[in-house]
This record gives sequence, C-alpha cells and structure tokens, in this order.
Amino acid sequence: MATEAISSNPVLRLGRHVTWILVLATLLGFALVDQNVLTARNLRNILIQTSYTTIFACAQMFVILVRGFDLSLGAGVSLISVVVALVTTAVLGDGSAGLAVAAGIGAALAAGFALGLFNGACTAWLGVNPFVVTLGSMNIAFGLASTISGGRPVFGVPDEFSDLFYGELAGVPIPILIAAAVCLVSHWLLSSTVYGRSVYLIGTNERAAYVAGVPTRRFLVTTYVIASLLVALGAMMLTARTGSGEPSLGASLLLPSIAAAVIGGLSLQGGSGGVINALLGALFISVLSNGMNLIEVNGYLQDIVLGLVILGALYLDRFRRGRA
Amino acid sequence: MKAYAKAGAGRLLDLGLLPLALVVLFVGLALTEPRFLGPQNLINVLRGGALLMIVACGQMLVLIVRGMDLSVGSTMALTSVVSALVMAHLAPGSGPGVAITAGIAAGLAVGVVVGLCNGIAVAVFGITPFMVTLAMASIVGGVALSLTNGIPIYGLPEAFVAGLGRTLWLGMPPTVWAAAIVVLLVWIVQKYTALGTRIYAVGGSPQASRVSGIDVRFHLVLAYVGCALAASLASLLLTAQIGSGQGSVGDTLALQSIGAAVIAGVSLHGGVGRVQWVALGSLFLLLLNNAMDLLRVDSKAQAIVMGLLIVLVVALDEFKKRRKIDGH
Repeated sequence: MATEAISSNPVLRLGRHVTWILVLATLLGFALVDQNVLTARNLRNILIQTSYTTIFACAQMFVILVRGFDLSLGAGVSLISVVVALVTTAVLGDGSAGLAVAAGIGAALAAGFALGLFNGACTAWLGVNPFVVTLGSMNIAFGLASTISGGRPVFGVPDEFSDLFYGELAGVPIPILIAAAVCLVSHWLLSSTVYGRSVYLIGTNERAAYVAGVPTRRFLVTTYVIASLLVALGAMMLTARTGSGEPSLGASLLLPSIAAAVIGGLSLQGGSGGVINALLGALFISVLSNGMNLIEVNGYLQDIVLGLVILGALYLDRFRRGRA
Repeated sequence: MKAYAKAGAGRLLDLGLLPLALVVLFVGLALTEPRFLGPQNLINVLRGGALLMIVACGQMLVLIVRGMDLSVGSTMALTSVVSALVMAHLAPGSGPGVAITAGIAAGLAVGVVVGLCNGIAVAVFGITPFMVTLAMASIVGGVALSLTNGIPIYGLPEAFVAGLGRTLWLGMPPTVWAAAIVVLLVWIVQKYTALGTRIYAVGGSPQASRVSGIDVRFHLVLAYVGCALAASLASLLLTAQIGSGQGSVGDTLALQSIGAAVIAGVSLHGGVGRVQWVALGSLFLLLLNNAMDLLRVDSKAQAIVMGLLIVLVVALDEFKKRRKIDGH
C-alpha cells in the first residue's frame, strides 16, 4: 500500500533518486565554476575520498539501522590512529616491519572491538540511550587519544604499513578496493545472514523482534562492534595516508559520516535502507567537499554547509516518511 | 500533577547521595590540599560553578521536554564573538554605555535566534532534537569562527570587563549573583507557575498534553529559547571575565551541562528535573574539576572522567527504573 502510493506519484518516485540527482547536479555545478573538477586526476581523488567516507558512513549505517547512533566515531578514529602509531613504532624498534604492521593491525582491531563493546554493552545491557553512551565514549576516546599521545602526532609509522593501506594494487588505489570489499561484505551481512535480517527487525520493532526469538541484545552489541571495527579499518587507512598517528585525525569525521548516512536516505527511525544509501551519501559528501576545496571555500563555511545538509536531509526524510 | 510531585519526592530520596558526595568531596579536598581553601581558589570554583549552573539550568529545561541541546557551546562562542564585535565597533564612537548595552542586546539576540532555530526545527519540522542541535552546533560554530577567523576580538570597553568580569559585588563575582537569580527564577517558575507545570506536562507526555489543550509546540520552542538564552547569558559573563571575544569559548560546556543535569536526576525521558538539584550538580562537577586540577590531572584526561561519569549515572538511573517496574 505504502509503496504503491510512492510509485504512483511521480514527484515522490523522483524523491527516491534524489541522492543520485544531487550528486550529479553538485558535480556539474562545481564543474561550471572550476574546470579542474572534471579532470581524470580529480575524479580519482574524489573516488579515493569517497572510499574513506563510505567506510565511516557504513559504520554509521549499521548503528542507525538498529535505531542507534555513533557519536564516538571521530574520537574513535583519533584513538585508534594513535594506538596504531604507538604500537607499530614500538614493535619496529626491536623487530621486523612485517611484525610491526601485524601488531598495528591487531592493536587497531582490538581497540575498535573494545570501543564497540563498550558502546554496545551500555546500550543493550544497561539500557542507556545510545546518544548518551556514545557522547560519553566520544569524550573517553578523545581523552585517551590526547593523553597517550601527549597531544602530539606520533611519527614513525613504517612505510610497509602505508603501502598496505595506501598503495596501489594493479593500478587501482587500495582504499577503493577496501571500500568496495566493505560494501560487498556489509551488503552480504545485511541481506543474506540471520544476523542481517534480524537487524532490520530490531530496527523496526525491537520488542517484536525479541518476542519473535531474536537475541536482540546480543545482536545489538554485535552491531556496535561491527561499526567500531569499520571505524578501526578507516582509522588504519587514514593513518597510512598521513604516515603518523594523529590525536586530532577524527575531529572532522563525525559530521560527514552522519551527513552521508542521512543524505543517502537512511532513516533515523531505523530498520530501512542499506549499503547503497551509505555509498550514495558518501559519494555526495565527497563531491561536495572536493568541490568546496577546489573553489577554496573556507573550512568554517564547510562546517556550516555540512550542518545545513544534515538538517535538510532530515527534513526531507520526515517528509518521505510522512507520505510513505 | 500528583504523579510529578511523587516522582519529585522519589528523586529526593535517591538524591540523598548528591549532597553527601558534595560534602565528601569538599572535606576531602580541604583536608588533602591546603590551596583549596584559599579565598582565590574558592572564588574561582564558585565562579566556574555559577557559569556551569546557568548553562545547566537551560539544558535542564530542554531535557525536561525530552530534548537535548548539544549546541550550547557553539551558542556561547557565537554570543561571545557577536557581542564583542558590536562593543568593539561602537565603543570608540558612541561611548561605553551605548556600546555595552548594544553588545549585551546583540549577544542575547544570538541566543534567541539560535533557540528559535532549534525549537522550530524540533517542534514544527519534527526533526530529532539530538540531530538538530548537533547540526546547529556545526552551523553556529562555523559562523562564529568565520566571523573571527579564530582570532580573539579585543577592544572591549573597560567598564564591561572591569564592571562585570573582574569585580566583586558584595564579596561575590557578578557571575555568582547572575546564577543565583537564574536559579531562583527557574525555581519560582517550576514550583509556582502554571507555565512550569505545563512544561513538565509536555515532557511527561506530549500526547496527553496535546489533548488537554496545551500548545505543545509553543512550550517546546520556549524551552529551546530558554536554553540558548541561558547559554548566551553565561557567555556574556565569561567574555567579560576573559576580556575578549573568542570563537572557542564553551566547547566543553555541552557535555558538562548535560553531565550536571543527569547527575542531578534530570531524566532523559523527559518530565523530570528540579533546578535546585541541577545547581548542586553543577557545583559537584566544578569541585570535581577543581580537585583534578589541583591533582594536576591533564584537562584532556578529565574528559575521560566526565564521559565515564555521565554514562555511569544514566546507567544507574535506567537500572533503578527497570527494578522499579519489575518490583511493581
């Protein structure tokens, strides 16, 4: 009934493709202003930037699907970046580079796991509002990142680590390959596993899911852990790019991840949407910020634009829901 | 109405812990750290506590109507910048009196505008408060920083800085008096006026309020405007203390004000919260910060403690509520 109503109304049918239209319109708009936008080099840059944003948008997507939210994403990236740098440089001091890289990856995933477990456990088992939990863990992660790094960048991440996450494989930048893999695995998880189908049930009606025999709490924790593991992956990729552990690395990542998720069409009510929404939203945000950088829009103004994009997307979302 | 009164009484018993913790912290500090009881340190604690108190009172109003305001820090930044710009611009030409009046008016106007934007987005457009204020924090903070490019604004009238920021009225900093007035005012509204009762009702059950004829949207907007105004007032006092307009003031205040409110038993589910407890909660947090400062705990590390504390307090609250439901 609801879908019929949407497909019979041409304006709303268009609304479903609104993100595609936005992406193309923004790209063309910037191309009119600056001829460097549509060069092969810049398009490649956009794709690389989209890879990072996609991974963070996917992380945000998982928790949004279960009506949650992750404010700790940016601070988590900072913390994990610092941890990776500290562990790799420490192991590099008395071991091989391969060992250092392996230890760095292990430490990053462990830190991501711990963060996700904290968020998930407080949300699912203690029943604390996810906004408050992640507001808390955001400050904890931020405090830890600044404390263990002394507030300064940690240099000396081995080149092998950078090559692994920031190099090229058969001419294709590795970030793009990783993001593609993340999208495929996430899509498979959500569409073809019991866990994935349950995520939609939990997001739509947690109580009903529980009554239907879904282990809701366990799956909620799993969801937060998956999100934070994705954050850890993104943090490793960004650390590889900068070549150092940066306590301020994640400061500007939270808002784009939310903006990408909501502009891509994920509803904060949970239970609807998928990887394609996160991917499209990430593409839009990357095109937008790439364009603003090229025409030299001040960073402060970019914050304003991101805030407006989020508000606009949420307003549209409410409109879509209201009619559906 | 009776239900709310009862919830208040229940809180009172629960909250016996807060005054106790406050006293323990105070005595502990006084015994272990001789510098703590120095008049300068005490005045600093009171001044900081008063500032937080003003912001937390506003935050409480929004929490009572089931919202949350993450934009108080940015509102403070923009208020500081705008009022300083106005004062610095007017002071040479029109004299300090006009400049100060216009600056304060401009600063408070910032609060009203931000509060209206938040309130309308929540009440009329129906967007989740959390997201509205997160996005507004980015927008308002962006405006503040692009107005200043991150550089402090000097040239405030001397009368403003000396008369409001760096003086004592009857032995107390003006900020403390301002906080006392705000707390008293909100207390009167909450305890004795129909407006206060309606705000609790809107938070307790928006549905029921609507059918009993309360204009829910109006009261929602009012709560957000009140919150942003409180933040602006705090920012004006802080600007006078610092002596310049800065786009970076208030960045920890969102977390701290939420912390002060939830420690004081303000429920995230709306409908519950008393201003006198929030005042105590603010003092407690400030004492805690002061203790950590005196123990030379890095300010970044203090964020860890704040984060843990907030999650812990809310978890305890949920636990208590669940036990109550199971028990009956």
